[in-house]
Amino acid sequence: MSKNEREIIEKEGIDMDVLIKKLRKAGAAELLTYYYYTLLRYNLAGPDAESFKEITEDARLEDRCHFEILVQRIYELGGEFYPTLRELEEDTACGSPYLPKDRSAKSILKVLLDAERCAERVYHDLCKFTFGKDPITYDLSLAILHEEVEHEAWFEELLGIGPSGHFKRRFPGESPYTRKFRHIEKE
Amino acid sequence: MKKFTRKELARYNGKDGAPAYVACEGEVYDVSKSVLWRKGEHQATHNAGQDLTDSIKEAPHGPDLLKKFPLVGILEES
Ligand code: HEM
Repeated sequence: MSKNEREIIEKEGIDMDVLIKKLRKAGAAELLTYYYYTLLRYNLAGPDAESFKEITEDARLEDRCHFEILVQRIYELGGEFYPTLRELEEDTACGSPYLPKDRSAKSILKVLLDAERCAERVYHDLCKFTFGKDPITYDLSLAILHEEVEHEAWFEELLGIGPSGHFKRRFPGESPYTRKFRHIEKE
Repeated sequence: MKKFTRKELARYNGKDGAPAYVACEGEVYDVSKSVLWRKGEHQATHNAGQDLTDSIKEAPHGPDLLKKFPLVGILEES
């Protein structure tokens, strides 16, 4: 825990219990996304399946990174992550992106898109909650938000809603915005 | 349609087995079935059993998300 950091943030007017709850919920949603995207990716089939899988894989790996940096911040602030996966799934910020009954690529992509849209809501909230008071949580929430928005745009593009406006990653799960928070990992 | 006073609404706070009702723009919805309103709590910020008309203006979504839940009554003006 970074005791002094925690005290400064509280002095700025942040309710630490609420902040930690929000971070836990966000972390839960990211881990669940990582897990369920694995299943969704396997089920993406059809003529365009390879490119769908590739994009789902980028989003999946980046969501796992989001989970890791959120957990790191929770412990830094003196909080704890869920002791069991059951508690995690019950407390998540977003509904789980289950495999839909209709397993067509279009339905699966729609589940992926909804999950990304939910995540954007979560990080907008975290940014608003921490703005001007907790610069580190704000910074990492904003970085995650950048990546979630790109994921949303990719899935929209695949669903024919409109062009995403950017390219994919240079390598799977590159995490261009959140990479700096994972300095311990090897390139 | 049932009419709720604020005091009555407060009983439906999702705690101790009570259903979770939320009022918004004069309508009362039963959100007990939502995984995002477990124990009457939403996103570590909001509680069921209340009129959340003002709070939803600050939320990252609109009141449309309530429409898929059963409408159980109307909130009486106090
Ligand atoms: C800080 C304020 C709030 C935040 C951060 C927030 C966040 C969220 C998020 C992330 C979702 C999931 C949306 C999705 O799947 O795309 C959600 C769903 C929902 N929210 Fe909120 N919300 C807030 C305030 C409110 C308020 C004030 C109400 C009621 C008046 C409300 C009612 C709902 C409902 C009914 C759902 C749908 C639940 C479901 O589908 O099971 N929210 N909210």
